[in-house]
Amino acid sequence: MKIALEVDVLTNNNRAAAFNRQLFEETNTLVINIMSSPGAGKTTILEKTIEALANEFRIGVIEGDLATEKDAERIRALGAQAVQINTHGGCHLDARMIAAVLPQFDFQHLDILFIENVGNLVCPSGYDLGQQHKVAVLSVPEGNDKIPKYPTMFMRTELVLLNKIDLLPYLDFDVEQAKKDLSYIHPQSKLLPLSAKTGEGMDEWLHWIREGVARCKKQSISQ
Amino acid sequence: MHEMALMGEIVQLIEQDARMKNIKYVKKVELVVGTLSNALPDALQFAFDVYKIQEDNCLTTDAELIIHVEKAKAICTICGQQYEPVAKIAQCPTCLLPTGRMVAGETFRILAYEGG
Repeated sequence: MKIALEVDVLTNNNRAAAFNRQLFEETNTLVINIMSSPGAGKTTILEKTIEALANEFRIGVIEGDLATEKDAERIRALGAQAVQINTHGGCHLDARMIAAVLPQFDFQHLDILFIENVGNLVCPSGYDLGQQHKVAVLSVPEGNDKIPKYPTMFMRTELVLLNKIDLLPYLDFDVEQAKKDLSYIHPQSKLLPLSAKTGEGMDEWLHWIREGVARCKKQSISQ
Repeated sequence: MHEMALMGEIVQLIEQDARMKNIKYVKKVELVVGTLSNALPDALQFAFDVYKIQEDNCLTTDAELIIHVEKAKAICTICGQQYEPVAKIAQCPTCLLPTGRMVAGETFRILAYEGG
């Protein structure tokens, strides 16, 4: 017996993403999915961000890694709530993994939820988690050819944090070329150079987050 | 990109549907895969072959995978030319700008399955 099914392969993921998105919207939570290669500095940026915003906002973090609680422990050390997802070999987070851990957060008392995806410039870009914003981190030691080489990631992220700019004097990273490459593949996206280590450029990132939180809250007033 | 995980999605979706229709086994699966969908037919075939020899799913060990490849198609938003882009950044061959709107090639769907 032949059965016509006619469904998108990512149907189940997209259904879970819609569920997540509705929860985030109903509770006016700003949710940011952060993606990068391993070692670009996602966790360090989050640590510095939490330190800077801890007095203003209630922040939660979902950490995605193949194994260990190491990243969640780093976040918890700062007093923020962190839930670790271990994918046991899986190369990305999907919306069902996120949905499964959401009950661990108290969304009535949360302003921002960061989702730190598995370090990988390819697969995480293909999965909608229900977030409002996708942010990529690219770091100076990786080289500025990564934007054209991994277009599926940078076509889908609205903001690219260029981390480790304190290393620019020692390496051959061409920031202007990276900006040009990004504007070619995704004209609406923005490259924001910063160093989580020295703090340079972090203010603009924090400003972008504050604006995002304000937009979420405003929606709740207008509703 | 991650065809084992994607094949897991395919098998799961088919099993969900098969359960409702009281279908016990599946011997044929048909997919539509766009050339710019980020899913590679060879890797999908490999993943399918791995799944079908396992006993914890509905696929028979001799199950067949048919992949209908959908060619990429883009239309330039400036000059209106229709062309086959080689990448997701659909550069128009006339305007030489990434102004193409993709109209085909990103599909990744299950078309049908056969079983009993």
